Amino acid sequence: MSDAKTHSIDISAMQRSQQALRIEDEKVCLSVNDLHLYYGDKEALKGVNMVIPEKKVTAFIGPSGCGKSTLLRCFNRMNDLVDGCRITGEINLRDENIYAKGTDVAELRRRVGMVFQKPNPFPKSIYENVAYGLRIQGINKKRLLDETVEWALRSAALWDEVKDRLHESALGMSGGQQQRLVIARTVAVKPEVLLLDEPASALDPISTLKIEELIHELKNEFTIAIVTHNMQQAARVSDYTAFMYMGDLVEFGDTNSLFTNPSKQQTEDYITGRYG
Amino acid sequence: MKMKKKSVSEWVKSGDPWVWLNAGAVAISVIMVLGLLLLIAVRGLGHFWPADVVESHYALPGESEYNIVAERVESLEVPAAQLREAGIDIPDNHQLMQRTLMKTGNRDVYGSDFRWVIDEYITNTQRPDMLFTAERREWGNLYGYLKAVKEDGQITSQTTDLTPTDSALATWAVFEASIERAAGIYDQIHDIEKGDIGKINYALERIRLKQRRLELEDKLTPAAEADLAVERSQYDEEYKGLQQSLIDLYQAFNRDTFVVQVMDGSEHEMPVAKIVHAYRANAMNVGQKMSFYFTKLWEFLSDEPREANTEGGVFPAIFGTVMMVLLMTVLVTPFGVVAAVYLREYASQGWVTRIIRIAVNNLAGVPSIVYGVFGLGFFIYFLGSGIDQAFFPEALPSPTFGTGGLMWASITLALLTVPVVIVATEEGLSRIPRNVREGSLALGATKAETLWRVVLPMASPAIMTGVILAVARAAGEVAPLMLVGVVKLAPSLPLDGNYPFIHLDQKFMHLGFHIYDVGFQSPNVEAARPLVYATAFLLVLVIALLNLSAVTIRNHLREKYKSLEM
Repeated sequence: MSDAKTHSIDISAMQRSQQALRIEDEKVCLSVNDLHLYYGDKEALKGVNMVIPEKKVTAFIGPSGCGKSTLLRCFNRMNDLVDGCRITGEINLRDENIYAKGTDVAELRRRVGMVFQKPNPFPKSIYENVAYGLRIQGINKKRLLDETVEWALRSAALWDEVKDRLHESALGMSGGQQQRLVIARTVAVKPEVLLLDEPASALDPISTLKIEELIHELKNEFTIAIVTHNMQQAARVSDYTAFMYMGDLVEFGDTNSLFTNPSKQQTEDYITGRYG
Repeated sequence: MKMKKKSVSEWVKSGDPWVWLNAGAVAISVIMVLGLLLLIAVRGLGHFWPADVVESHYALPGESEYNIVAERVESLEVPAAQLREAGIDIPDNHQLMQRTLMKTGNRDVYGSDFRWVIDEYITNTQRPDMLFTAERREWGNLYGYLKAVKEDGQITSQTTDLTPTDSALATWAVFEASIERAAGIYDQIHDIEKGDIGKINYALERIRLKQRRLELEDKLTPAAEADLAVERSQYDEEYKGLQQSLIDLYQAFNRDTFVVQVMDGSEHEMPVAKIVHAYRANAMNVGQKMSFYFTKLWEFLSDEPREANTEGGVFPAIFGTVMMVLLMTVLVTPFGVVAAVYLREYASQGWVTRIIRIAVNNLAGVPSIVYGVFGLGFFIYFLGSGIDQAFFPEALPSPTFGTGGLMWASITLALLTVPVVIVATEEGLSRIPRNVREGSLALGATKAETLWRVVLPMASPAIMTGVILAVARAAGEVAPLMLVGVVKLAPSLPLDGNYPFIHLDQKFMHLGFHIYDVGFQSPNVEAARPLVYATAFLLVLVIALLNLSAVTIRNHLREKYKSLEM
């Protein structure tokens, strides 16, 4: 990771900003109960139990293939699109099982937004990209659209850069801008949860920094879950961290103590770079 | 020796031979295509150039000399022995003889337009200025000297000179004025016959059908019958008025005649009304010839055919081709796209889907005449006659949709080309990046919304590629059309001012079939041959234009949705 070298872990700053957090004190947004996920015969998640706290940033770390992206994609049922994928157990969004029969998946995804690893703007104008989710909901009033687009772009710290070219194609933007546009697009539908799947891994260090600052801003309004390969990033942006390994949730706790005083040997080995 | 061998193997290894092989193959293809286009362009477009008319003496050995007035068409060498066998007395010292095809015209006088002459026996060739060519509405071209012009049988101008003297030129001027007058009257007659009278006939036919329909439904009350009779008598009245003016026009049209001296010296009197153009090619300079050439070319593009399609223009065929292709496109695009979307996006990708896909691919390889037979059997005889019985019982026993027509031809061709659109669209859909679809789904869009708002727009360049291929195939197809609606000569265009404006049930003309008809079914093959080339060239041009417009649309879409190359 190129950005790993430019930002060393500032443990002291982290300790200053984060008083001892206790998961028991948090309001629960999402809770995962005994979640198993199979791709065909292969078990990719082996009984995960955890909660995602409200209006906090929860990071998922772990080596490639450990199931962290898979778990994230369970929260908005993105895995439904994968052929041969089977799930047991339950995930509750505010006490509602999202895997219950008759769940409106489109409605769920509107409540649980997702940003992917690679920026994926639509081949439309910047404005239309942000307005997309609203138009899907049948909102076509120009004044309302204008307001929401501006608000979303401001939330994604993009407004000043693009306000003069809202109707130009989104494909002409830089990678970092595109990723922030995708975040703005997701924010525009005012979801309750924001899932970020390695949002900065395809970006340069400056853009990465901007995304991280953005995550800090956004956590005031949204519950955020972020998957990252980059432990420094996890340490910088998150309040809670989950370490996963081979489909198991090995350790979950507040970021500060997980990084400074891991309770499991596996976690310590991973964050000190002994494997992974 | 060893060195040489090594260098050859090294040359082979370097890959250069492959480059040369590939470049050679490309070059040969390009040369062949350009050569083909050049050949049909030269042969076809040369036809409209006003050729010089020569006057010569011609005498075969042992026969008496006679005068020949003609255009040279083509010249080739033949073995003398072949000519001897044909009964011509050729001296023994000749092996090969140059033989020329001369277009002598005057079919009404001599029975045929062309004759072969042996160059050796032509003497005293001249290009007299006063020799003129006249294109006629029947009997092909006329070549000769103008002797007199008459009005109502009274001579208005005459000359005895065969050279451009004042008197000859004055007579020519009177002749030209008379032709122009006749052409003006011809246009009026044409307008009335095709336009006004056509409209009345159409209206009368509709009244007849209405009456028949009421009769069939047992609703033909005396009151309704009286209404229809009133309506009919109005049209009859109008028709009578038009007929009277037609009679007057025809009288004026046939007023003038002219006297022409043809190559054997005999004189003939003919009506001026029969002439389309008359020109003295030998007296024209290059500029005049050019302007005449473009007039003729325009006439070819914009006029209706004359004389069993061997003269005049091909406008109805161009119109029919373009209209049929556009209709086919309108039908095939949605159908092919919907089928591809289902196959790629909704159907589970099991063996059934795979078999369907293979079947679709194979459909593209079925010979087109088979589609023609299917169109005739299923669409026309089954669907068409069903439609007739259900919706047009009043017209029976004459069929409306139960016979070939524009709609059935378009549908048959749409069926023929739908595999191409399906395959291209599927290809396009499979190339849309997964993360763009996921981006849309993650915003709460359903699969259908994602397809409609993101995937299909992004796949539109691929869809257009399919449409381009479909258009290219459909526009050149003739065989199935002969079974489902193309005719040699359609009395009217499928689009006109009479309600409902587009007549899908009408038969139509097609450039491809026109080529076949003119080239192989015409009574006067030699005269029609240049038109075959010209029409072929035009067909290529029309297809190229249709394709070019589709390619332009595709490029525009590609520019708009270029994220695929990200």
